Amino acid sequence: MSAAEDQADVERVLSGDISAFEGIVRRWQSPLVNLAYRFCRDRGRAEDMAQEAFLRAYRFLDKWRRDAAFSPWLFALAANLYRSELRRIPVGTVSIDEVAEPKDPGAPDGGLEQEDRDRAVRGAVFALPPKYREALILFYFHDMDIPAAARSLGLPEGTLKARLFRGRDMLRRKLARVLGAPRLEEVQ
Amino acid sequence: MTDDEIDRILASGHDDILPTSGFVESVMEAVRDEALRPPPIPFPWKRALPGLAAAGVALVWVLVVGITQLGPAAEAPQLTLRLPSALAPILDAAAWTVAALLLTLASVKLSMRFVTRRT
Repeated sequence: MSAAEDQADVERVLSGDISAFEGIVRRWQSPLVNLAYRFCRDRGRAEDMAQEAFLRAYRFLDKWRRDAAFSPWLFALAANLYRSELRRIPVGTVSIDEVAEPKDPGAPDGGLEQEDRDRAVRGAVFALPPKYREALILFYFHDMDIPAAARSLGLPEGTLKARLFRGRDMLRRKLARVLGAPRLEEVQ
Repeated sequence: MTDDEIDRILASGHDDILPTSGFVESVMEAVRDEALRPPPIPFPWKRALPGLAAAGVALVWVLVVGITQLGPAAEAPQLTLRLPSALAPILDAAAWTVAALLLTLASVKLSMRFVTRRT
C-alpha cells in the first residue's frame, strides 16, 4: 500500500473529487474490517463499524497532518471509534472459564486439539477487561509493533507494555485451567 | 502456556475475514450522502454575545441583591410572618417568572427570524 497514493487521493478528495475516496476505501477496507472483527467477532457488525470509521475519516480528512503517514492516523481514528462503539453496545462476553472445555481433561495435552487451543486463546482474550483486551488486539493487529499499537490507542508505550504484560499474565493464569496445568508448570 | 505460544496464536490471523463484495459501494454511498448533506449551521456567537453578556450582568445583579437582602432577613426573621411580607416573595417570584417567559419568547422570536432570513 503506497503512502503516495493515499496522499494523492486525500488531496483529490479535499479539492472536491469525492470519487477519489474510493481508492482509500479499496486499499484499507480489509485492515479496517478485520480490526473491527477482532474487536467484536461479528462479521456484520464489523462491516458496520468499519463503514462508520471510513465515514468519520472522510469527515475529518482535513485534520490529517501531512507530516505523518496516513495509515496510523486512520487506524487511530478507527480504533477509537471501535472502542467507544463497544463501550456503548458491549459484545456478549463469556466468562474465561467458559471459553473452552477440554474433550478429555485426563489426556496429556488436556484433551484439546491445536485448533481448539487456538480458539480457546482467542476466545479468552474476549473475557479480559477492556483495557487489556484492547491492548492485546491492537498489539497483534499491528504485528507486535509497540509504537504503532500505542499510537492507535493514544497511550504512552510504557503504559501499553504494562497492559500487555498484565493481559498476557491474566490469559496464562486463566488458560492454565483449560489447557492443562503441566504446561504452566513447564513455564515456571 | 508461554508468551511465544500466545504470540503465535494471536498473531496468526487465521480468523481474518474478507469484506463482502458490496462493502466499498456501501461506504461510497454513505460518503456521497454525507457530501450532499448541508453543513451544520454554526452557532451565532457574535449575535449571542450581547445576550450572554446581559445574562451574566443580570446574574451578578441577582446574586448581589440576594446577598444584601439575606443579611437583614436573617437579623429580623419575625417580619416575614406578617401577611403583606409573606406575599412579597410570591409576587417577586411571579415577576421573575413573567420576565423569564418574556425573555424566552423574545429569544425564540429572534432565532426564528434569523432562521427564516437565512433560508
